Amino acid sequence: MKYVVFVKQVPDTTLIAVDENGNLIRAGVPSILDPYSEHALETAVSLKKEGDLIVAVTMGPDQAQSALRRCLEIGADEAYLLSDRAFAGADVHATARTLSAFVEKFAADASLIMFGKQAADGDTAQVPAEVAEMLGREQFCYCVSVNAEDDHFVTVQDYGDERRTCRAPMGSVVSVSEGDINRRLPSIARFIEASEAEIKRLDRIALGLGNFSVGMNGSRTKIVKSVNVRSERLGKITDGSDPVKAAAYLKELI
Amino acid sequence: MIKITEVPEDSPYTIDECKIRGYADEVLIPETEEDIREAVRNCPSITISGRRTGMCGGSVPYGGTVLSLEKFDHILGVGKDERSFYVRVQPCVTVRQLNDFIRKKGYLSLPSLTEGANEELSADRDGYFYPVDPTELNGSLGGNIAANASGPRTFKYGPTRRWVRRVRVILSDGSVLDIKRGDIKATGRTIEIPFSDGMRMIELPTYEFNMNVKNVTGLYVEDDMDAVDLFVGSEGIFGVITEADLYLAPAHPLISNIVFLPNDGDSYSLSKDFRASGVVPEFLEFFDSGSLDLIRSSRKDDPKFTDMPDIPDTAGSALFFDLPMDGNLKDNYLRVKPLIERYGGSLEDSWCGYELKDRERFFAFRHSVPQTIFDYVARLKGSSAPKINKMGTDMSVPLDRLDEMMEFYDSTIRSYGLEYVIFGHIGHGHPHVEIILKDMEAFRKAKDAYRELARKAIELGGSPSAEHGIGKMKVEYVEMMYGSEGVDQIRSVKKAMDPENRFNAGNVFADGEVRM
Ligand SMILES: Cc1cc2nc3c(=O)[nH]c(=O)nc-3n(C[C@H](O)[C@H](O)[C@H](O)COP(=O)(O)OP(=O)(O)OC[C@H]3O[C@@H](n4cnc5c(N)ncnc54)[C@H](O)[C@@H]3O)c2cc1C
Repeated sequence: MKYVVFVKQVPDTTLIAVDENGNLIRAGVPSILDPYSEHALETAVSLKKEGDLIVAVTMGPDQAQSALRRCLEIGADEAYLLSDRAFAGADVHATARTLSAFVEKFAADASLIMFGKQAADGDTAQVPAEVAEMLGREQFCYCVSVNAEDDHFVTVQDYGDERRTCRAPMGSVVSVSEGDINRRLPSIARFIEASEAEIKRLDRIALGLGNFSVGMNGSRTKIVKSVNVRSERLGKITDGSDPVKAAAYLKELI
Repeated sequence: MIKITEVPEDSPYTIDECKIRGYADEVLIPETEEDIREAVRNCPSITISGRRTGMCGGSVPYGGTVLSLEKFDHILGVGKDERSFYVRVQPCVTVRQLNDFIRKKGYLSLPSLTEGANEELSADRDGYFYPVDPTELNGSLGGNIAANASGPRTFKYGPTRRWVRRVRVILSDGSVLDIKRGDIKATGRTIEIPFSDGMRMIELPTYEFNMNVKNVTGLYVEDDMDAVDLFVGSEGIFGVITEADLYLAPAHPLISNIVFLPNDGDSYSLSKDFRASGVVPEFLEFFDSGSLDLIRSSRKDDPKFTDMPDIPDTAGSALFFDLPMDGNLKDNYLRVKPLIERYGGSLEDSWCGYELKDRERFFAFRHSVPQTIFDYVARLKGSSAPKINKMGTDMSVPLDRLDEMMEFYDSTIRSYGLEYVIFGHIGHGHPHVEIILKDMEAFRKAKDAYRELARKAIELGGSPSAEHGIGKMKVEYVEMMYGSEGVDQIRSVKKAMDPENRFNAGNVFADGEVRM
């Protein structure tokens, strides 16, 4: 099997403080491998059998290499950095276009294409689905478990209100939303090996993409304005043991 | 001020982590410093209470008033002096709270105590950290100062004492003493402290305070000592700390490592080779096979007990160390590699991690050993053995005597027919030995064994209490170390500072009134 895992580097959101005006203080916050990407990679590592290959890929600037190193430490066999000045400012569409091009040119034989369910900074959760769409492959988002069978995978997706178990054909796109709390740690030997491993770089030309397909130029989203919205739960609960009363209670609240 | 006048038998205010249960007439929860002063003026016997994670009954009351500082949990500001940046805290800010604040660089949300300090700190790229890292992160900083707490990194950075810039203390007459280092110094062994009725001349003990090892036994003294040091480690017998300034140190990236070795005992040997190898870790902590088994068995009941991978089945002991993540890292690894291999280990049989969330997992793993034992003792206390408390040693010896001490731990505890696990600050000559208590019978034996161990530690030039303090549980070791003359000298300092014996009666030296 060949597992292609797309990962992202994000600021460590647990370390972002708020200043007295309520603004996020991002300066000096260290960058880490997105925790959801890590779940995806972990899943790949747990699926891996002798002879399988895990390829970690990220699109980002030079410094995103450290996220790839971390993937190598956790268990990736190869790492690709998709990097080009022209990639800057990519929205969901341009990102998906770039990642799809990688699959088409370099990993068309992937058994599974894997993502974290979303990235902890952008939070759109759209890239996996859009890559699947562009590649014309099946998509299974929000997986809480993925198991390999001989010629297909079995995925369990969690939509919050329902869980769906599916048979995913070879070459599908999955996004993973949960990881193992006891997730593995690299050995020192693996850490040293990863620090010496080669990270392959691919630019726009290598991916065969035009200037207007990538980055800001290839983006379709225009941010007109952004506002802070707060949604707060009221924290009110009814147990529903008396449906009539519960309904009246809900009506009252709405 | 909140007053609780009915204190139930199972009140959380009358017990700490050693699980000794005391009793109290009332609990006061002051909200302002004025409340504290009022309490000090009105209450004849006060036990000062932080977060009660202490391990020797220091905050356990035997009658009188519990003064709980729980409302004093704010970080007040940041400043800078010639030495470094510092943070001003109220006493019940926990170590965890301070660490979180520093990591999130919350400086701009606080007033700057000196011009521009908060801006300068938050702009600093590599950042700063508070170097005292007791494994119990829920202890209060006031409690840490009162106990002169330390942690793994004391190996490199020293105990709390070294990081205290200033203290503000309510003295026994209700007056406020606000001093920073350099403000008041002893002349030889005499120090003058201002009270509301004028200066009091205080004769300090004449014994040598052992500074060759980690040591918090008895009152800290040295010639010409700073008055701040009189309060650090005094276990609250001289007054209530209501504010403190704590220095920060420049941070550097670290990687945490645990190496597993097949045999029990080998991690200890490896720790000695480590020292000889020239590689300087931030600390060296070890786990014997018993401590690894404790974690294994807790994980069997609850797979999420520590959020770590499974401990390899073949592991018989382990060594935990942090290394700086700098240009020498790989070199350092390669230097320790043959040492590890000598004991049948390898760089494959190890874990490492450098992201903050991973490093926290390592520390939680380390913390889980004593925590398992506490929970176990707490269960016994709640069922078959209500009078039991924990029997963990906290003894340090000079490194060149550690072999002898390790052998003595083993032969002595076995001679009582007891079992134990051993883990902790091996690089500092200060492993913790936890005697596993099954019933009251074992508890009684353990007390005798403990006494023998303490005597041996002192004989080898060490200390019977390296970091947890004396509290009420270990007062006899003060006498063991300094003789009755030394204890009398401590008593007379107390008499001068607190003539009516208002604060923390029974801590540090025996008090006839306190019957446990
Ligand atoms: C699992 C575990 C691990 C631990 N590991 C370590 C460790 O690695 N290193 C270490 O040093 N300790 C360790 N401890 C012991 C304990 O956490 C420390 O002694 C800590 O300093 C106690 O803080 P506290 O707020 O809980 O104090 P308390 O238990 O509330 O009080 C401790 C003593 O300080 C006095 N005191 C508290 N606050 C003040 C104040 N504001 N003014 C004057 N006196 C005061 C109390 O009267 C008492 O005598 C550990 C404890 C546990 C349970």
